[in-house]
Amino acid sequence: MNTPLRSEAQRRADEIAIFQVELARLDEEGVLRLDPAQQQALREHHAALLASFAGRFDIDRDAQARQLSLGMRVASFLGALALAASVFFLFYQFWGNFDETAQVAILLGAALASLGLTVWIQTRDASGYFTKLAAMVAFACFVLNLTMLGQIFNITPTDRALLPWAALALLLAYACDLRLLLAAGICCVIAYVAARVGEWGGIYWLHFGERPENFFPVAALLFVFPQLVDHRRMSGFAAIYRIFGLLSLLLPMLVLGHWGYGSYLAHYDIEARSIEGAYELAGFVASALAIWIGARRQWPDTVNTGITFFVIFLYTKFFDWWWEIMPKYLFFLVLGLAAILILLVLKRLRRIGRGTVEGAP
Amino acid sequence: MKLTPWKVLAAGFALILLANAVALVGVYLNRSGEADSRMTLSQRELSMPWRGAMVRENSGLALALNWRVIETGTGEYFGSGFGANGGTPDWLDESRMVALGFDTAAVAADQAERRRFERQLPREVLLVLELGGPAWQRALERTRQNVARHEAALLANADSKEFAAKAKRAQEQLKREENANSRLVASDAGLDRAALRAKYPDRGRYLIVKATLRPRTVTRDKQTRIGGYLSALAVSQINVPHALRPALEPALRSQRRTTDEPGARFEATIAFGQRLEPWIEAVAVAR
Repeated sequence: MNTPLRSEAQRRADEIAIFQVELARLDEEGVLRLDPAQQQALREHHAALLASFAGRFDIDRDAQARQLSLGMRVASFLGALALAASVFFLFYQFWGNFDETAQVAILLGAALASLGLTVWIQTRDASGYFTKLAAMVAFACFVLNLTMLGQIFNITPTDRALLPWAALALLLAYACDLRLLLAAGICCVIAYVAARVGEWGGIYWLHFGERPENFFPVAALLFVFPQLVDHRRMSGFAAIYRIFGLLSLLLPMLVLGHWGYGSYLAHYDIEARSIEGAYELAGFVASALAIWIGARRQWPDTVNTGITFFVIFLYTKFFDWWWEIMPKYLFFLVLGLAAILILLVLKRLRRIGRGTVEGAP
Repeated sequence: MKLTPWKVLAAGFALILLANAVALVGVYLNRSGEADSRMTLSQRELSMPWRGAMVRENSGLALALNWRVIETGTGEYFGSGFGANGGTPDWLDESRMVALGFDTAAVAADQAERRRFERQLPREVLLVLELGGPAWQRALERTRQNVARHEAALLANADSKEFAAKAKRAQEQLKREENANSRLVASDAGLDRAALRAKYPDRGRYLIVKATLRPRTVTRDKQTRIGGYLSALAVSQINVPHALRPALEPALRSQRRTTDEPGARFEATIAFGQRLEPWIEAVAVAR
């Protein structure tokens, strides 16, 4: 049997708790009653599993622990960001006092040592919070390492630096089961692919953001990736890939829906207004498709992202059409009615989805 | 594949060492062999970069490279002196813009085509910077003519405060041009480095650097022409090596630049290597 990750252990513990409550209810209602030997075996099995998980992963065993755990997650996230910033400013404060050899040695040493520290903490930190802090510092040290080498030796800025940063962030994310580092790695990948696409079009890489269509290839890549590589053991990883994939698709569409001149198409004698109209339509279709695919595949992350963007597209369109000409009470009434309509449609969609699941063989 | 701590450590170490090695080998290759250009610049071309609140805590020291674009059609105060570092040079015409990869077709047709031309995104080009050459000499001469014109006007209107102020301003501008303004002027651009170097073989007078070029139309006297806006250099600040800081730092921090006093007087030998990345080789401070 594979050794489970912390997230897997937490999920199993949650499922055990739900199962125990339901079993007690079935017992009360007389639907299912296990004999004493079976009850004893089940209790012992669950107790052994939970003790093993708790010993290794410091999982939340009840609701109160879960609430505290949420607070700890927030604290470790903020702490990780603050420590990463601290590393940057610490080096900036003192690097001028050393010669170039010492500067390189410090930068390289800090990157290696912080990585070593992260791996060491991971083997001892059952909760995972301290590992997250250390991993974020290791990532910051490596980013600082290459950035400062660029400054010390006057190296021409290049998008290729994003590749090793992405590689280290993804390595730490997969090794330590850290979604924060996964998001950092994905951001580096998004910037790199978009910069490459822009450069293939002949533009200087630092200006890749001025053509939002540069983000479309990486959007497809990110959305498809969790389908090609099994992520069932990594809790939430597939969802993060899909969310960033959708953001890379729908955000540029939203921008182009209001700024047709930013499109590559504007160079081919197409009116900016037509481009904006096309991207508004594409935005509605893409977010509706995201809701549909998410509902069919049972990906709540995809459904929620799709709904959010559908509502944004709809409301910005309402604003364009009616903000100037409608009395404000009527405008907001229309927004409210639109929200109710969306709720009704989603409710119906949920019923259809439930019917499909129940009807499945 | 299961990621054991040892595997993570080995992969991470390999990644960090490889990335550092690639960067440092690049530095070695840039600095090996004969430098692409090497020239001695003074405080006129090298200055302390602006230091914002966040950067004030930065203990490093870098010098910003001040270069100019001389624009003849911009009135008296053409060609900013302290290095505004950008502009639309007269020599950047339609044929050059085509050669640099921009689509200039049908620009003259109408306003919409001009906007379409200007919406093309910036490209990286090789920019030739000339030190104290004919372009700078012409700028100096123009400033002198400007002074003569304003002094003649003042003589003819001896009681006019307005003419007196203009003449004073022209004198100050000349003083800046003679003593303080950068002599490093953008004089050509291309994509083929070998061709540019063959055209400008003097490595002590012509720098070839990477810069960004954005398409721009210039309208003057109701005539619109195709041009380009030269902006940021790929490497705009040059780190001062630790060994050279004791000589340079007191001079840089002790004086402020004014019209009469151009600031600390120093000279620095700057080399641009095989990858057109600069470094400071030597510094001499005037006593």
